[in-house]
Amino acid sequence: MQVARALVSRLALGMVSLLFISFVTFLATILAPGDPALRLAGDKASPEVVTRLRHEMGLDRPWPERYLKYLGDATHGDFGKSYYGTQEPVGAILGRELPMTARLSCYAIVGASVFGILFGTIAGVTRDRWPDRAILLFSTLGVTVPNFVLGPLLVWIFYLKLNQLPESWSPFRPLPDYMYYIMPVTILAMRPAALLTRLTRASMIETLQQEFIRAAVAKGVPRFRLIVVHALRNAILPVVTAIGTNAGYLLTGSFVVETIFIMPGVGRETIDAILKNDSPVVQACILITGFLFIVINLVVDLILPVLDPRIRESQV
Amino acid sequence: MRRGRDRWMILGGLYLALLLILAIFGPSARHGYLDQVAEPNLPSSAQYWFGTDQLGRDMFARVAYGARISLFVGLSVQLISLTVGISAAVIGEYAPSWIAGPVMRLTDGMFAFPDILLAILIIGLFGRGTLPVIVALAITAWPSMARLVKTQLASLKDREFVIAAKACGASTSYLVVKHLLPQLWAILLAVSMVELAGTILAESTLSFLGIGVQAPEPSWGSMIESGREVMNSYPTQLFWPCLFLSTTIFALSFFGDGLRNLLDPKSG
Repeated sequence: MQVARALVSRLALGMVSLLFISFVTFLATILAPGDPALRLAGDKASPEVVTRLRHEMGLDRPWPERYLKYLGDATHGDFGKSYYGTQEPVGAILGRELPMTARLSCYAIVGASVFGILFGTIAGVTRDRWPDRAILLFSTLGVTVPNFVLGPLLVWIFYLKLNQLPESWSPFRPLPDYMYYIMPVTILAMRPAALLTRLTRASMIETLQQEFIRAAVAKGVPRFRLIVVHALRNAILPVVTAIGTNAGYLLTGSFVVETIFIMPGVGRETIDAILKNDSPVVQACILITGFLFIVINLVVDLILPVLDPRIRESQV
Repeated sequence: MRRGRDRWMILGGLYLALLLILAIFGPSARHGYLDQVAEPNLPSSAQYWFGTDQLGRDMFARVAYGARISLFVGLSVQLISLTVGISAAVIGEYAPSWIAGPVMRLTDGMFAFPDILLAILIIGLFGRGTLPVIVALAITAWPSMARLVKTQLASLKDREFVIAAKACGASTSYLVVKHLLPQLWAILLAVSMVELAGTILAESTLSFLGIGVQAPEPSWGSMIESGREVMNSYPTQLFWPCLFLSTTIFALSFFGDGLRNLLDPKSG
């Protein structure tokens, strides 16, 4: 019952965030220079055609009404039409590009969590000895080296010098698909993994100093069991919260990674649309990326009470 | 441990001072950053320290100009973010609730947006270039500054010197300007330094994606993008902007962290 109520309040919070994002993207198009009807009709269109199009698109209505219509259309997957080419519906573009971005983000978030927690635990347990020092050095590099520096570097090493991994994604792929994901996912996961490593290390060190650990040692719990079952179970909680906040880096990174590896995803689509001044596509891409960010955070928030009985009980 | 940290901070500060000199004098010291001065794709030499790029422009001058752009954009954004952030926090803390409420709601709402997504939206709809980048990054940067200042203001609220000043009849604006903000400048300086690293990173990311600083003006991000195209034959064109960008981010975070520990020991 309590869990259900907590669930509902988290969902409500997610909805509010989503409404805010949709409102900002809507507001941005209102404030942006240029007349959408004119862009869609083309420069050669007669004033009557433009006026009729303005009316059909509802651009002559007051903005609150337009916002509600925008929301309603968006829930049906209708985001308007692209200004370019065959004026493809934006919804269709998103449907084509979203799976790639979602897949990349999922792989990267799982990879970053696994490696971050693993290395962070090792560093925390071997505090101030060489494994800790080495991991700290690498995580510092992981946080400070930008992903668009790391990208070309990896391509230079693994494609140009060693010729082990493909240079970029392409419609025709002679190698098995996973080979094309290795470099993009590594780059995407690097920064979150480094941050999670540092956080896990700090959390682990703090947990290991607590009384219940000393009690467990005195009881004679084997070392591996002590670390994994007793310490990590507690140390991991702040780390799980951080996975959600790190989702922002993933989405930013997906813009860069999809550009470097020419992958058909929302990030690259957004950049292409900006370079072509294709506002409806820009707006929808940002909205959907923001939506993805909120969903990831929501999932993390829902996992937390599963891991921590104290949160489960305190959520009234 | 403590000594080692200081050493990193001094190294970071030293690097930043050199970078500042490079940004001021470097772009035109030996060759103009926009001039085609030699054959394209030359290797490093006594005449062209970092070689030349695909159009025969001096790489050293261009890297130096990249430093100028990065620092200019970064510092402008931090200045705007500080001004707006402090104003919002003071309004949120001291203004009547009908105005403080909406301002704080807006600040919280801004956190719903992943940092760079909003910047990309603003640039996407209002145009590309250096000025839009500054505006977009400032709009995304101020909420965290506002939140920090508000927490700090709230923690100072019940201190003796504040109560004493109030008892002496100090007005709210006098209290804020003369007593509270002077307490905060040290921590704000240190935080801005760390945030500056993030701003410079964001600017070069946008420029790398082609929607930030526009050609022919060079930026580290756009130089990395164009260096990528020729990295098989002329890897040095990729190397120099990568090196400077990474080192700058590294130096700023070490210097900023060191400064924060020095000025505000309890937060470290």
